[in-house]
Amino acid sequence: MQYEAGKPAIEVRDLAKRFQLKQKAPGLRGSWQAVWRPEMREITAVSPLSFTLEEGDMLAFIGPNGAGKSTTIKMLTGILFPSSGHATVLGCVPWQQRRQLAYQIGSVFGQKPQLWYHLPADDTFRLFARIYELDMKSYQRRRDFLVEAFQIGDLLQTPVRKLSLGQRMKCEIAASLLHSPRLIFLDEPTIGLDVVAKQQIRDAIRTLNETENTTIFLTSHDAGDVESLCRRVIVVNHGRIIFDDKTSVLKRQYLRRKVVDVRFADALTEPFTLPGVETVKQGTYGVKLEFDSRQIPVESVIQQVISGHTCNDINITDPPMEEIIREIYAV
Amino acid sequence: MRRLLFELSFLKALFVVNLSSAMEYRASFITQIVGMLINNGIYFVFWLLFFDRFGSVRGYQIDDIYLLFAIVTLGFGLAFLFAGNAGANLAYLVAQGRLDYYLVFPRPLLPHVIFSRMIVSTMGDIVFGFVAFLFTGRFHPIEILFFLLSSVLVALLLTAFGVIAGSLAFFMGNAQYASQQITNSLLTFSMYPNVLFSGLARTLLYTLIPAAFVGAIPVQIVQGRDGVLLLGLAGFVLLLWLIATAVFSLGLRRYESGSAININV
Repeated sequence: MQYEAGKPAIEVRDLAKRFQLKQKAPGLRGSWQAVWRPEMREITAVSPLSFTLEEGDMLAFIGPNGAGKSTTIKMLTGILFPSSGHATVLGCVPWQQRRQLAYQIGSVFGQKPQLWYHLPADDTFRLFARIYELDMKSYQRRRDFLVEAFQIGDLLQTPVRKLSLGQRMKCEIAASLLHSPRLIFLDEPTIGLDVVAKQQIRDAIRTLNETENTTIFLTSHDAGDVESLCRRVIVVNHGRIIFDDKTSVLKRQYLRRKVVDVRFADALTEPFTLPGVETVKQGTYGVKLEFDSRQIPVESVIQQVISGHTCNDINITDPPMEEIIREIYAV
Repeated sequence: MRRLLFELSFLKALFVVNLSSAMEYRASFITQIVGMLINNGIYFVFWLLFFDRFGSVRGYQIDDIYLLFAIVTLGFGLAFLFAGNAGANLAYLVAQGRLDYYLVFPRPLLPHVIFSRMIVSTMGDIVFGFVAFLFTGRFHPIEILFFLLSSVLVALLLTAFGVIAGSLAFFMGNAQYASQQITNSLLTFSMYPNVLFSGLARTLLYTLIPAAFVGAIPVQIVQGRDGVLLLGLAGFVLLLWLIATAVFSLGLRRYESGSAININV
């Protein structure tokens, strides 16, 4: 089957995955019984899902742990066979045309590294060039482009085990883009990274989308990833879609609260208060503030904080994804 | 044909990366190889002492043991130098859901998986195999050729058997220990003169645990310069590979992946 331009990059219809799970009563007695009379229970990892994703779009596919995000990605990349339903990715049925599809997609699993741990990333890059059958000239051109985009020029000759998590992750993503995939699956690409590394990765992904029209399918627990990268959000929970709309809608409705952690140089002598801002926690040298960024802009809160005190550190975060999902349920 | 050559050159690239990775740790690299040489040497000395004391066992003499050791160790060394993920490692990858790594690449899955790991110590087996062959004193060109061909076929047989044993994890879950036991039993039985076995045990060695095809038959091939038996061994290896591929493919449909976090320690 040949993919036709103009058709959706991903088409999913009633895709579902169920697993058989062995049940056992607690303790040794339960284990003994399970050996002779195992009881199986069917669990639904993904309830019938249906959605489409246009080529060049950037989709955040989010949800709490166990929501079925990774299982969905695994079905869409051909790793898992579905229990029922149908899907095409760039015109291929992933679990039937896995190899054909693999030339066109890239995938990054934040918790499952692809780089050879004891070797410099450059060695894995060269191996990937062989895996994807790239000729040396186009490989070299692509490698130079990615080295520039991810700023990894001085990291490529260092054994991967000696790179920091952020450095390694940049190399991981660059490696998965060597064959110029038209669609990339990013499963928690910024997990455990500091603010600077996160931003560099986000910038590079955005650049790829803008310059090469690469379709992005992202899962992340970091609301910042979703907010800064994706135009559309699908929220899944217990294997079902509970929200599917533009990121701006999610932002307007649910991503309005910000959390600010402040560390002061001097001890606080009295309760810290700012109008319209909730002081969630106060210690001798720090406070945790929460506010609605639609009511009070972030800059205004920061300005008020630094105008009255000398600060050592200020950290602005979004509420965790679980909280956003709870809010979606509450509506 | 072009495709096959490409896949072979890809496997060569995998081998080079594996070797580079192993050589990152020089001391460990050398220790493993030397350690395996000593390990095989000790086993070998046991048989030397045995035959020195008893002369022969049902017609099997020390010269036969030299040849048996040469073929089995060279075959084993070749198998797991190149395809280190066959056997218990395959079971581990399946049970831990680590086939995901290979499934996202556009290469034939089974060769990519099994050739992605090199067991460095097997270089010691390969060296030992050649040294043991020198002891046989069989330097006729046909004998040397049949020795090399038989060893390669034994390597292919051990790899196929390792794939079948490792694929048990698709059906049993955590089958790492079981597949280790099964592959070890094949190797252990192949290192004994097959004249020691009779009845059901002998039948088993020609069927379920095909140790006779790893040890006794290749020895016969070289000693008798038996081209027909060599073809027979090749046929058996082909059959075993067909079974291995079918079992792996069937198992893959049951693959459940996993959420194990890969931590390199």
